[in-house]
Amino acid sequence: MPLFYVLIFPGFLFLLAFALFAEYFDRKVVARLQNRQGPPWYQPLADTIKLLSKEDIITHDADKPMVNTVPLFGLAAVAASFLYVPMWTKDWHFSFQGDLIVVLYLLTIPAFVLVLLGWYSPNPFGSIGTGRVVTQLFGYEVPFALALLAPAIAAQSWRITDLLAYQDDHYWFALITPIAFLVAIAGLVGKLERVPFDIPHAETEIVEGPMTEYTGRKYALLKLMFSTETVVGAVLIAAIFLGGPHLPWVTKAVAGTAVAPLVGFLAVVLKALFIVFLLSVIKAALTRLRIDQMVRWCLTWLTFPILIQILYIVIVGSM
Amino acid sequence: MLDKIAGWALRKSPWVCHFNGGSCNACDIEIVAALMPRFDLERFGILLQGSPRHADVLICTGPITHQIRDRIIRVYEQAPEPKFVVAVGSCGTSGRPFCGKGAYSVMEGVDSIIPVHMYVPGCPPRPDAITYAVLKLLSTLDPKLADVLAEFEKSIPGIETMVQEGEPVAG
Ligand code: SF4
Repeated sequence: MPLFYVLIFPGFLFLLAFALFAEYFDRKVVARLQNRQGPPWYQPLADTIKLLSKEDIITHDADKPMVNTVPLFGLAAVAASFLYVPMWTKDWHFSFQGDLIVVLYLLTIPAFVLVLLGWYSPNPFGSIGTGRVVTQLFGYEVPFALALLAPAIAAQSWRITDLLAYQDDHYWFALITPIAFLVAIAGLVGKLERVPFDIPHAETEIVEGPMTEYTGRKYALLKLMFSTETVVGAVLIAAIFLGGPHLPWVTKAVAGTAVAPLVGFLAVVLKALFIVFLLSVIKAALTRLRIDQMVRWCLTWLTFPILIQILYIVIVGSM
Repeated sequence: MLDKIAGWALRKSPWVCHFNGGSCNACDIEIVAALMPRFDLERFGILLQGSPRHADVLICTGPITHQIRDRIIRVYEQAPEPKFVVAVGSCGTSGRPFCGKGAYSVMEGVDSIIPVHMYVPGCPPRPDAITYAVLKLLSTLDPKLADVLAEFEKSIPGIETMVQEGEPVAG
């Protein structure tokens, strides 16, 4: 049974299917916002299969063992973090005290994967991209972590299921801590390197940044890493700020019946797609920032408000 | 079976890389126009990629200057197999109007250096002709695309005369 959980549902296979669907959804929404028809539903699947079947080139000067293993490592880290985000119930069987920290930690690994890939490929675009990945990391990582910790401070627990229980009893955290919600979305945009924070792989400047030299299988793994990270991040934010499987009135009505897990599951998927929708609108509406603008913007407009938010929580909580 | 699935995926997601081999830039602007929301090539799965490492179709313009000769060979070799080449513009197909007697700096089109699978003559060709050429290239792999081509031919009379097939596509 645990093997079924890990490999098929809600583990790896489901994660892949959900990630490919979310990528399709994202591209379709962007296309519709630009008044285009957009790709057909199987497009991300076809892209992935095509990349898997293409020639796998390793450049002459690259460090072979490193270059071969690191992309797998990134995908594995993201897939592992998916096990700890609740998909249909607030009594999640994999949860333990401190799982929020573990998920945050595992979601940081893709950035380090990019850094390693950039350093180990003998390409100037790769090195520049690596520098930008690291610089950008300081911009978004601090506010993103603080934004996810603000609800944890309010609920006085580092455990995602406790946060869900807290939201069942009170309101969703998006209403209690709205600033943290907005900052978390902005941080997720930076984490996923999407517009306006797609500076590390800015196509018009440095081709694909750290991923420039990687073809075939490895590029497919890297693309999958990003789309699975999108899904995990969206589900995580849905769980922490939008109540996860909780729906007002409905959850109470179906509690204890056989359809309760199904309702919870649908709620989580819809909320995650809502987060992806927000990301797509941001992508269609904005353009890329420069790296110094991005860091300055993040420090003034993300880190500062989130500190005020945490101060507010601490003061209100201690009263 | 696996080959069939891989072939299907390749037909459904041809990523293009755009290479300027010393053209006057008008062809390049038409290529960019073909990639704009009005023609929306993403509905056929076509995406513009910055690096030849990620591309399946190289779209080359220009008569190929002597300086760019080595680079285009390198770019072609950097693209992973299977790969296709589309030559765009009169320059790309034959080197005209730049090459000829006394031309000291240009070669005679893209196919004097690398194999070309589809030609789009015109100075510059229309964006719909470029779209049609890429689709026609794919339709040699996928007979189902014939419907889309027929639709093109009906709505734009004479478009089939705007492209020419080059080297046979294997696979
Ligand atoms: S074919 Fe004509 S438009 Fe195109 S690059 Fe050559 S001269 Fe310019």
